[in-house]
Amino acid sequence: MDSLIAASARALAAGDALSALKRISLRDDPPALALRGIAMAQLGELPRSRELLRRAARAFGRHEELARARCVVAEAEVALAMRELGTAPRTLQAAVASLEAHGDQANALHARLIDARRHLLLGRLADTADALQALEGRALPPALRAVAELVSAEIALRWLHTRDAQAALERARAAAERADVPALVGEIAEARAALDQPAARRRGPDGDQPLRLDEVEALFDSGALVLDACRHGLRAGETGLPLARRPVLFALACALAEAWPRDVPRDALIARAFRTRHPDETHRARLRVEIGRLRKLAAPLARIEATASGFALRPLGERPVVVLVPPIEGEQASLQALLADGAAWSTSALALALDTSQRTVQRALTELAAAGRVRAIGRARAQRWLAAPIAGFTTTLLLPSTLPLT
Amino acid sequence: MNTAPARPAEIVREYGPFDGATAVHGVTHDGEHVWAAVGTRILAIEPASGTVKRSLDAPSDAGTAFDGRHLYQIAESRIDKIDPTTGHVLASIPAPGQGGDSGLAWAEGSLWVGQYRDRKIHQIDPETGRVIRTIESNRFVTGVTWVDGELWHGTWEGDESELRRIDPHSGAVQERLQMPPGVGVSGLESDGAGLFYCGGGGSGKLRAVKRPKASTTA
Repeated sequence: MDSLIAASARALAAGDALSALKRISLRDDPPALALRGIAMAQLGELPRSRELLRRAARAFGRHEELARARCVVAEAEVALAMRELGTAPRTLQAAVASLEAHGDQANALHARLIDARRHLLLGRLADTADALQALEGRALPPALRAVAELVSAEIALRWLHTRDAQAALERARAAAERADVPALVGEIAEARAALDQPAARRRGPDGDQPLRLDEVEALFDSGALVLDACRHGLRAGETGLPLARRPVLFALACALAEAWPRDVPRDALIARAFRTRHPDETHRARLRVEIGRLRKLAAPLARIEATASGFALRPLGERPVVVLVPPIEGEQASLQALLADGAAWSTSALALALDTSQRTVQRALTELAAAGRVRAIGRARAQRWLAAPIAGFTTTLLLPSTLPLT
Repeated sequence: MNTAPARPAEIVREYGPFDGATAVHGVTHDGEHVWAAVGTRILAIEPASGTVKRSLDAPSDAGTAFDGRHLYQIAESRIDKIDPTTGHVLASIPAPGQGGDSGLAWAEGSLWVGQYRDRKIHQIDPETGRVIRTIESNRFVTGVTWVDGELWHGTWEGDESELRRIDPHSGAVQERLQMPPGVGVSGLESDGAGLFYCGGGGSGKLRAVKRPKASTTA
């Protein structure tokens, strides 16, 4: 490393991106390009930062594999901050291998964490968990530990393991305080506050009762048969029946669950599922078919009994039936509740689940996206929608640890 | 340029990392202490005990040298002449590499400055900074020292680092001491006897390497 690079890196490490830039702004050698890229990221100029880091990675010689790998990691982190997730992860994997071969554990762990966060943003929870698993038992620097715990809390929340999520957030908070990164501490506090917000309502004869996430979890653990109108399914304990892509069956299950333990007359079911008040014989025939389908799917959870006037839901094992609805009324709440499963949804699937038009869904999603509550990945027909993570991750603050200090 | 066969460098001692210092950028020797440039300070280290005896506050981003009375220190794109007793900067001259400099030595009334990625060593006038002549190396230059009429420079490219003795006229490599993989050299100085002191870059360490017998006077 030469003198101005050393001086610039020192300024950058002290958080003074502008004076770091001042020293090397006219230089185009690879270490200068890399430092300029990192300084630009700290100043929030992400597209420019990515371009500089890419140029730096290309310009390092074949002897300088380590410096090149660090640039690739920094570039991947910037891409993550820009929510541009399409870049080939192979490059990142190669960089991890190279960093580990050169004994740069800190940056290798950083790269693995970027990989985990990329999976999370793409809604691939199982892959995220796998990537986190690879970090287990490793000594992470506090700032990276905080982010890893935040990712792990996010997964636990999506899987409705609120105690695990709380424990992970507690570890994240401790690590963020050790790292002394105020923005990270702030994000974790926000994520913790989200746990105390009502996540759903329990529909009862005397009105609706708001439930926090841990109360929702307790409800599922209680063994009750839950008609979950948030995620559109039936669930009892560990057994779940997703009905988000079967709107007619879901409508029937809803009607039956709401009436439990009473039965629902055939005409009422037809009105609800087929939206007609003038049923004829074809509707009755269709109802028999749909009830037959629901009966078959729901068999591990409940029976559906024919009564004199209609049908009734009979949970297995004397369980009570509980109806859970989104925390507030309206299209947007339902959308968010559906996306809370962490999966990537297409607009058409959401429209199908909510039994409404794609145009309506699209309008609601656009509003939610503008508010930062949901986000889209992909374009045009391949576009998918995901819930925003509970915390945004203060990505650029972590970049100094990828400094190309050779 | 011919290339001499490499031998492994024999590291006899490691010092540091030192308190509050994340890297060693430059090294010199005043006959008694080893001085190490660590970014914002220059530390005087007692070789026998390894303890830091003194510390001068000075921007110190690359090579360090000693002319018998003064310290010379590369800071950003200049070379500061520093009184080692007071720490005062007595004069400054522009560094020949305009900030791309790495490695500094004093010999024969001149300063010798490494220009890192340009793989050059400049001989300059210590009063004005005027370049007297330039030697081309074929590796990144990360440290320069003269001992008994021999010009040695440190090199560090990626994972590979060596101490090289070169012909001061042609730049031809005459002797190579190979550092272990991953051990870099930033800053180089001989103690005038049987040892080289090497800065260890971002490791924050200082290393003593045995000078090959064939070329020592002892």
